Amino acid sequence: MTLFSIPILLRNTVAGIVWMTGTVALAGAGAKLDFNRDVKPLLSDSCFKCHGPDQSAGKAGLRLDLREEALKAPKSGKAPVVPGQPETSEVVRRIFSSDPDEVMPPPESNRSLSPDQRNLLQRWIAEGADYAPHWAFVPPRKAEPPAVKRTDWPRHPIDSFILARLELEGLEPSPEAGPGTLIRRLSFDLTGLPPAPDEVMAFSADPSPDAVEKQVDRLLASPHFGERMAQVWLDLARFADSDGYHDDTTRSMWRFRDYVINSFNTNKPYDQFTVEQLAGDLLPEATVEQRTGSAFHRNGPTSSEGGADAKEYAARYAVDRVNTTSRTWLGITMECAECHDHKYDPFRTREFYQMFAFFNQVPENPLQRDLHVAPVMPAPTPEQEKQLAALTTRAASLEAGWKAAAEPPERGAALKQEWEQAKKALDDFSAGLPQLRIMAEVPERRPTYVLIRGDYRMPGEEVQPGVPASLGALPTDRKADRLALARWIVDRANPLTARVMVNRLWQMVFGTGLVKTSGEFGAQGDLPSHPELLDWLAVGFMDSGWNVKQLLRLILTSATYRQSSHQSPGMTAGDPENRLLARGPRFRLPAEFIRDNALAISGLLDRGRPPGGPSVKPYQPGDLWREFSFGDSPDKSYVRDKGGDLYRRGIYTFWKRSVLHPGMAVFDAPNREVCTARRPVTNTPLQAYVLLNDETYVEAARVLAGRVMKFAPAFGKRLHHAFLLAVARPPTGQEEKLLRDLLEDALKEYQADRGAAEKLLAVGDAAQMADLDPAEHAAWTCVANAILNFDQTLTKD
Amino acid sequence: MNADSDLNRAMTRRLFFRRSGTGIGTMALASLLEPGLFIARAAGSANGFPDGLKALHVPAKAKRIIFLFMSGGPSQIDLFDPKPKLQELSGQPMPDSLTQGQRVAQLQGAPLLCMGSRYQFSRHGQEGAEFSELLPWTARMAGDITLIRSLQTEAINHDPAVTFMQSGNAQPGRPTMGAWMSYGLGSGNTDLPAFVVLVSGQGTGQNLHTRYWDSGFLPTIHQGVQFRAKGDPVLFVSNPPGMSPKMRRRILDTIRGVNQQTLQEAGDPEIATRISQYEMAWRMQSSAPELMDIAREPDSVFDLYGPEARTPGTFAANCLLARRLAERDVRFIQLYHRDWDHHGELPKSIGGQCQQVDRAGYALVQDLKQRGLLDDTMVIWSGEFGRTPMSQGPNNRDTYGRDHHMKAFSGWVAGGGFKAGAVVGATDELGYAVTQDPVHVHDLHATILRLMGIDHTRLTWRFQGRDYRLTDVSGKVLPALLA
Repeated sequence: MTLFSIPILLRNTVAGIVWMTGTVALAGAGAKLDFNRDVKPLLSDSCFKCHGPDQSAGKAGLRLDLREEALKAPKSGKAPVVPGQPETSEVVRRIFSSDPDEVMPPPESNRSLSPDQRNLLQRWIAEGADYAPHWAFVPPRKAEPPAVKRTDWPRHPIDSFILARLELEGLEPSPEAGPGTLIRRLSFDLTGLPPAPDEVMAFSADPSPDAVEKQVDRLLASPHFGERMAQVWLDLARFADSDGYHDDTTRSMWRFRDYVINSFNTNKPYDQFTVEQLAGDLLPEATVEQRTGSAFHRNGPTSSEGGADAKEYAARYAVDRVNTTSRTWLGITMECAECHDHKYDPFRTREFYQMFAFFNQVPENPLQRDLHVAPVMPAPTPEQEKQLAALTTRAASLEAGWKAAAEPPERGAALKQEWEQAKKALDDFSAGLPQLRIMAEVPERRPTYVLIRGDYRMPGEEVQPGVPASLGALPTDRKADRLALARWIVDRANPLTARVMVNRLWQMVFGTGLVKTSGEFGAQGDLPSHPELLDWLAVGFMDSGWNVKQLLRLILTSATYRQSSHQSPGMTAGDPENRLLARGPRFRLPAEFIRDNALAISGLLDRGRPPGGPSVKPYQPGDLWREFSFGDSPDKSYVRDKGGDLYRRGIYTFWKRSVLHPGMAVFDAPNREVCTARRPVTNTPLQAYVLLNDETYVEAARVLAGRVMKFAPAFGKRLHHAFLLAVARPPTGQEEKLLRDLLEDALKEYQADRGAAEKLLAVGDAAQMADLDPAEHAAWTCVANAILNFDQTLTKD
Repeated sequence: MNADSDLNRAMTRRLFFRRSGTGIGTMALASLLEPGLFIARAAGSANGFPDGLKALHVPAKAKRIIFLFMSGGPSQIDLFDPKPKLQELSGQPMPDSLTQGQRVAQLQGAPLLCMGSRYQFSRHGQEGAEFSELLPWTARMAGDITLIRSLQTEAINHDPAVTFMQSGNAQPGRPTMGAWMSYGLGSGNTDLPAFVVLVSGQGTGQNLHTRYWDSGFLPTIHQGVQFRAKGDPVLFVSNPPGMSPKMRRRILDTIRGVNQQTLQEAGDPEIATRISQYEMAWRMQSSAPELMDIAREPDSVFDLYGPEARTPGTFAANCLLARRLAERDVRFIQLYHRDWDHHGELPKSIGGQCQQVDRAGYALVQDLKQRGLLDDTMVIWSGEFGRTPMSQGPNNRDTYGRDHHMKAFSGWVAGGGFKAGAVVGATDELGYAVTQDPVHVHDLHATILRLMGIDHTRLTWRFQGRDYRLTDVSGKVLPALLA
């Protein structure tokens, strides 16, 4: 019998194959099977649906997820699993059975085991049928970085973990990327913007050994860092500018976005960031900032549909908060347990409603339609806070002055008048402050019941707030509220929080996390490609005081990160998704940065503008909002902004859930009705239309054309500058020829049709450049239009 | 039908809207020069087809679907399901035995009074199906369609109910039916998307959400593409002012040249995909406007659809477009017609509403039939729910309204392997609940998939470690609906 087979874990993807082989190699032909790595995925996929944690589904009363259950002999018949004795184990008999009434899994389940998989289970039982807790539910331990043969490559421990694995596969890491590529990569990863030409030059000319470190530090200090990080966080927070359901009323949550940007910019420790968002309102003497953080859980979609039942929606919002919390921080999918015990993970329905009990205590009217829906608070910006303080002080001192001045009466009246004016100024200012929906607790805790099959009209047993037992327990010395939950989430004993965040940042940089299913660390999630590295990073992250910038600095200064992303057929054949990281990352920019990039290259983006502020409405064709809205719904029309607000970064674009801005939607931005842990990256003809024809990009092309024409008179210098702006390198000879030919053809066409040139140059609000020859400017606009569409321009490589 | 040819079609679809990271981009590049090459090679490659079905589960009866969605919830009591007893009891309370503990929407706390329809019904077709006088054209095709009187849904408010009808789940985030088809079967056309959406109606009813044609957790390539009556037929399909098609082609050639060089250096198959997508975009720049240009249809066609079909953006014009899309083998054609939400003064609104859809729906079915397309094209007509047999507002035959009703509502299906000329399902004498052959939304989905050659329990997508399907964990194929 073949005890050992290669594709034992082959489950999901083509890419999986590579690290499967690696897994096998790690296990070694003589080594014992590892339950979590080799056996559990198989049991989970093929058996747990009926013989797993969901007790209602338990066929034949049998559970295979718990060892003591699997070893127990039923009243009649044999024990399913007899350690060391596959020949007497009922499981083995049944999986090898050729009788369709007996074989497991049964044919109607649409599940089946391959011969290799059957052999593997048999071998596992022969080896003693050892179980182990699910890897992600055991707190991470920091392993020593492994020894490697090629000792001159690693720059720090990340590289040892990566290289050890490559060496095991007989693979070589790639050479370091060129300076232009590297500075562009760093710049996108840390600011979401391309480097300016002088930054490219400075980095290329810096011979110092810590040149990369210097750039990383510079970029981490940029105010654009927070904007970049918000791009990731706002998908998780399902942040939007509209309610989502029904008529999709506008809401005002932008102060929460400012909070996220600012938190990353000030490098707020991740544990603190977490507690503020889950329970900032419950912190003792909570500051404006802490309470602003608690708006996280007022970001969920809401309805105001006439005839809706408030109780139904209140329950729905609590469910959304449970799901969002568990996906964002714990990387687990709890929603299955809303209606039945989880099929794969040890989460009971009861436990789902224990989590629910933290979140159904908000004094909100679930069906209210308004810009602001209580609980709300004035959420002044830092600048406004200063002004408010000044106005308050002035009013207070004038009041005191007036009250003190008894004589003469005329003087008292004058002082009184002055005080009244100051008071009015204060009141007016306060009334104009932005408001924000935040969290609060009802004074008296509402009882929570299990909702049978998730139906809000069918309350079952009453439950108390709590966390899933398989992940730990709340501290007993304090009230079980959201604050207790938040503190439990960031407790060092929590096995998931640090791993999930570390993995998310890895995904942001490399395109795929060490755990590919970045929103699912449970039994059905993918195993980590480099488990020891994940744990090493997670423990280090906690040890650093949950320091996000330090973690990113570590990743971005590694040799792993610096590799060229070029691939050869031999390299990709085995690892198309680059899970082993024998090369650097290369993938299309996310939606927001695609546009930011074009704006930055053309110079339309005001890089000096400080972060923050209300959402803006850039160009959008026709009136898409009106097409979808109805009679009495507010905000029926999209009225685009003018001036600088047309060119703000994508992170500030108004996020209307029912009609997401098409420039966002087409590049895979989610509508944010649910918490999103990973965006797909697609490649479609509709994307070409946006980049070729959308007013945004045509205007950017025309402005970029003007920019390079004013830079220098000669073709070569102009093109060089354009390439430096767009892809941080000069053009190759071939590229120069292609674009010179294009320019010449375009020039001929526009010289023959100056009317056409003028039409093209009239696209967009940006100032016309009357000093340039229209035909030449139009021809260069065509060149710029091409440059803004290069694969490389759209790609971090 | 031939599963291989369907697979080939699906492969063609991959070339059109392709997912990242498939690793077959270099083949796509080769196919730019030789379009047939890609299909042949990819079909033979083990790893070239990461999405969808490897082969159909059962022989397919239909190749494409046209879903005429009546947004807002048409009143089955006034259109499809005559209830003499309800007439008789008009003004009297509905029996508690029916309504006790049942959900209502806007009627919360209001008296629940019977309200018979003010419209006359008559029998049509071989089975004598009854249709209201509001739908004379639909009645004329009683022999072509199957009337379902026993539809049931699980959500009582518009937004979740539309989401449920489209995605099998009332919560947002799941792929819609068209996205499932695109994922499972791909497109039959290299120059158009697999899932096209057309919208009509005045917008006095409910909001639409792009979520209703979203791809949910499936890759975005599977989401519906809206074709518009005004402005660009597809957003941004037109070249900017002052740029000729010749200049556009010239620029595309340059982009391709540079991208080919990048592909050689960087070796990323994604670049090859991008090159091919730009070529598809170029082709669709002609195919989309050509599709939308109905002016050149002969007069006989407008005689069939009615004069409204000449006005872009009407339901009639969209029905004509639906036929043109079906001719071009677009897989899922979704029409939305709004304004069926008749809470008050139903008699004032419903007549005009029916005029907008009645003849056009008839014309579409006849047109498909005449062209031999009805046999393998499904046509489905339904709202997200129906309306109560109880009145809302005045209990008065001139001004009554009706609330949302999810326990029983009506719609019709035609072609594509559905039974023709039948009536399926029945309700109690007051039209409140289903008494025979219930057709739950999940069952409708399962049946639709079956006719497309798909076992609904086996079309799955792994998301967050779980295999999800359109019909969630339920749904059964209903033989009563099948030819």
